[in-house]
Amino acid sequence: MTSNQPCVDTAPVEEILGRYPREEASLIQVLQDVHRAYNYLPCDVLNKVADALEVPLAKVFSVSTFYKAFSLTPQGKTIVKVCTGTACHIRGAGQLIEEIGRQLSIGPGETTEDLGFTLKTVNCVGACAMAPVLIVDEKYHGNAASSDVPKYLGKGGARHGH
Amino acid sequence: MAIETRKQFEKAVKAAVDKQKKHKAEILVCCGTGCLANGSAKVAEAFAEQIEKQGMDASVGLFSKKTGCHGFCQQGPLVSIQPRGVLYNKVKPEHVPEILEKTVANGEVIQKLLYKNPADRKRVEQYNEIPFYKNQTRVAMRNIGQVDPTDIEDALARGAYAGLAKALFEMKPDQVVDEVAASGLRGRGGAGFATARKWKAARKAEGDRKFVLCNGDEGDPGAFKDRSIMEGDPHSVLEGMVIGAYAVGAHEGFIYVRDEYPLAVVNLTIAIDQARKSGFLGKNILGTGFDFDVRISRGGGAFVCGESSALMRSLEGKTGEPRQKYIHATDRGLFDCPTVLNNVETWADVGTILDRGSKWFASMGTDKSKGTKAFSLVGKVKNTGLIELPMGTTLRHIIYDIGGGILKDRPFKAVQTGGPSGGCVPESLLDLPVDYEKLTEAGSMMGSGGMIVMDDRTCMVDVARYFLSFLVEESCGKCVPCREGLKQMLAIFDDLVAGRGKPGDVERIERLAEGMRLGSLCELGKSAPNPVTSTLRYFRDEYVAHIEHKACPAGTCRDLTAFEILEEACNGCHACAKACPVDAIAGEKKKLHVIDHETCISCGACFDVCPTDAVRFFPKVEITQEVV
Amino acid sequence: MPALTINGKTVHVREGAYLLEAIRKAGFSIPTLCNHEALEPWGGCRLCLVDVTRREWDGWKKMVVSCMFPVEDGLVVDTHSERVVSTRKVVLDLLLARCPEAPVIQELARAHGIEQTSYKPNPEPTDCILCGLCTRVCDHIGVSAISSVDRGIGREIAPPFHKAPPDCIGCLACAEVCPTDCIPYKTSDSARTIWDKKFEMVRCPACGRAHITEEQSAYYADRNGVPASYFETCDACKRKEQAATFAGLSLAR
Repeated sequence: MTSNQPCVDTAPVEEILGRYPREEASLIQVLQDVHRAYNYLPCDVLNKVADALEVPLAKVFSVSTFYKAFSLTPQGKTIVKVCTGTACHIRGAGQLIEEIGRQLSIGPGETTEDLGFTLKTVNCVGACAMAPVLIVDEKYHGNAASSDVPKYLGKGGARHGH
Repeated sequence: MAIETRKQFEKAVKAAVDKQKKHKAEILVCCGTGCLANGSAKVAEAFAEQIEKQGMDASVGLFSKKTGCHGFCQQGPLVSIQPRGVLYNKVKPEHVPEILEKTVANGEVIQKLLYKNPADRKRVEQYNEIPFYKNQTRVAMRNIGQVDPTDIEDALARGAYAGLAKALFEMKPDQVVDEVAASGLRGRGGAGFATARKWKAARKAEGDRKFVLCNGDEGDPGAFKDRSIMEGDPHSVLEGMVIGAYAVGAHEGFIYVRDEYPLAVVNLTIAIDQARKSGFLGKNILGTGFDFDVRISRGGGAFVCGESSALMRSLEGKTGEPRQKYIHATDRGLFDCPTVLNNVETWADVGTILDRGSKWFASMGTDKSKGTKAFSLVGKVKNTGLIELPMGTTLRHIIYDIGGGILKDRPFKAVQTGGPSGGCVPESLLDLPVDYEKLTEAGSMMGSGGMIVMDDRTCMVDVARYFLSFLVEESCGKCVPCREGLKQMLAIFDDLVAGRGKPGDVERIERLAEGMRLGSLCELGKSAPNPVTSTLRYFRDEYVAHIEHKACPAGTCRDLTAFEILEEACNGCHACAKACPVDAIAGEKKKLHVIDHETCISCGACFDVCPTDAVRFFPKVEITQEVV
Repeated sequence: MPALTINGKTVHVREGAYLLEAIRKAGFSIPTLCNHEALEPWGGCRLCLVDVTRREWDGWKKMVVSCMFPVEDGLVVDTHSERVVSTRKVVLDLLLARCPEAPVIQELARAHGIEQTSYKPNPEPTDCILCGLCTRVCDHIGVSAISSVDRGIGREIAPPFHKAPPDCIGCLACAEVCPTDCIPYKTSDSARTIWDKKFEMVRCPACGRAHITEEQSAYYADRNGVPASYFETCDACKRKEQAATFAGLSLAR
């Protein structure tokens, strides 16, 4: 299996696999944990998961690409999420995305070249009363203002454990 | 210790209640996601620190706890002091010593932290006098904001598992189903299917292995009631599921929680662990010999997994593709076994229905829609947050009396209900009593209870386009009408908002909408045209303006709108220039400011901040006409 | 046997059949794209939608996909009601926009009065209608080498990581079952290529024709517990061998 991804240490995967029954029904939970551990889904790991759960690789790939929680390419150390729920949309989520784009020179779904930041738009996170909502490294910022974007981005930068 | 008899249960409840009585004062700090976003965690820490530092706890009987979402997110972080009944708004860590000194120790109220009613500009002291809370009837959300979701004893003291005790100790499964039937409970996830009917079908179905599932995949943008219930009162969900499992004969259950709700997963996990230890979950529940256990399954980020058959596929480790349901899930659902799937709020209602009786529940609501419903009131309304009201309450009461009216007192335009499957209800229908039937008749639907209030600065064509752009990413892509239909519908709307609308577009839209409604495989595709058809029904003039005049009446479609500053109204305060993200406004202080049309991106920030209404918007085509 | 009324005509059909079978037995034809007699029905293309009602429904009717709707005694079916026909047209119109150059789609659309799509034609035309037959037949064979990837408008059929699928045995079933022939492959006596994967061919020991891949042979052998050599002989030669055996038997009294 050729891949232009860097080789990863697949040792943590055994531990993750041990948390769930070895069957197809555990696939999404396993992928969630893998994604948390590696900050994306490395293809070496997906191969290992397919073998361990006895699910065809094609189906593992299908599931990995269907669900938007998963990225198949390495993400930035800081994940910046802008909620695009209806309340946030009408309270200016679009402007937030533009401003972050201006600051980081990336669009939604993209990662900065130095792998520092990934910008994502996410579905309603359920904090609608605080619209618009910005989440930087899982910290919620309600009533986010475009003018405060540099502050939010500076606040972030927490490293993800691998 | 696992409870194994009725007596032991009553003893445990009494012990929990007595423990609470020992607290002379309770400080409840809201730690729902909304308040957390506003820094309430630090407030809770400050209270805990100060209480310890001052050695106040044992002697004064002081107790601080973190609770779930109070619902009044606009005013957070919220802190409530019981039994004084005071609710403080926008509390910061630096307020904590004062609160402890004045309110807790001396019963004095700190005026500046109280909620100020915008209607009469008076401060309101008591929690239950605040219109936002006074007008509510909290049933599903009965404990949220009062109970510490990570403490089962606290939940017991407030009545958790009383319904379960009644069901297991006093009733047979059939009687439980009958009681739920008598209550008139209908699914609170959106479809409003009669809950007891579903349970009856699963009970009758063949098979030894049955499942009860909780749909915690609240995907409607703008709705967050399920989040609040899972985070703030997880035991209410567990109790309901055990009762349901007992009624249908299931021994296994799953709670499917959206990937985007991590706190809900945490609190549910703690609750499950505590429930197991106390004998409310697992083997031999309450010593009655009934076994039932539950596991949490996290979603992968797919709105379509809120659809029941897609949710079940996701639980099976597959992609969330719905299947044609000619054979009901109650016969063959998860792993081909009889399955009951209910929404979080539905489960939260079950326990209290059993406890307080079906008659009580059915005494509220309308003829066909019994009980209460949770709504998330958000958007351009002054008091945004989570509320629960009897079915049949009018939209006007919700938006004006509870919501406090429109933000900045701008004119009301519409309220969007039911998420991407719903529609917009205009001003003419504000006196509509909210229930399943009435909303559907009006071209919208109840959905998850999201109510998004819109003012005159909301373009209805853009609202329809927004929901289309949301759904086009969420469609699973299996069937042609939904996958291709959404893509083409969005393409037409992209043209409309950019000024490329053509005559015949409305007819094309209507034909495509009908094709999607009739042809799609599941409700996502079938109801996808609703925001389109409902805005066409009530706001056709906006479509005409976009197509024929290349104009956006709300002034928000950027390609169609230009802005200018009126000389007679401008006082040179410079606010617009400061707000402009692209420096398109030039002007000296106290002199007329001017917008450079070349640089201006038509975002409307200047319009929104101008204190003298000196900015006006007009169709961009008029600029080019002038030039010509 | 359940009795149904289809377009006014009564027909009896076996218990457990799907409505599509009854409709065809009654002599009516409706278009289908994602249906295949060898595979479980899927309900994705929506072309086989029909209106059904029952006498006791007092005129209320519902639209169902006939490929998946189980027959019921007393069902009354209309295969060409106004709304069924208009929905079929919308489906074909949408497919024509997606696959403007696929002859099968052009013909079907034309047969329903659509010469040109009323929507935006696909800027990157494809012949793939996403009927899922390829992945479904691959799953049915038990290989599952390819699958549907992504969702919504980004959905496509692809091998894992868009690279040569490690599990593919080169049987060409996917290409053969595709209604628009949009899965390319090359096959010759020496090699076969499909989904960017190269296969070595196996020559029949009897006639020398290269007829299956090594991977196919190994897969069938493994699944059936039969030596690979059984599969290496091509079907035509297997038949010759069996004929010879039978001829031999009748001679040996």
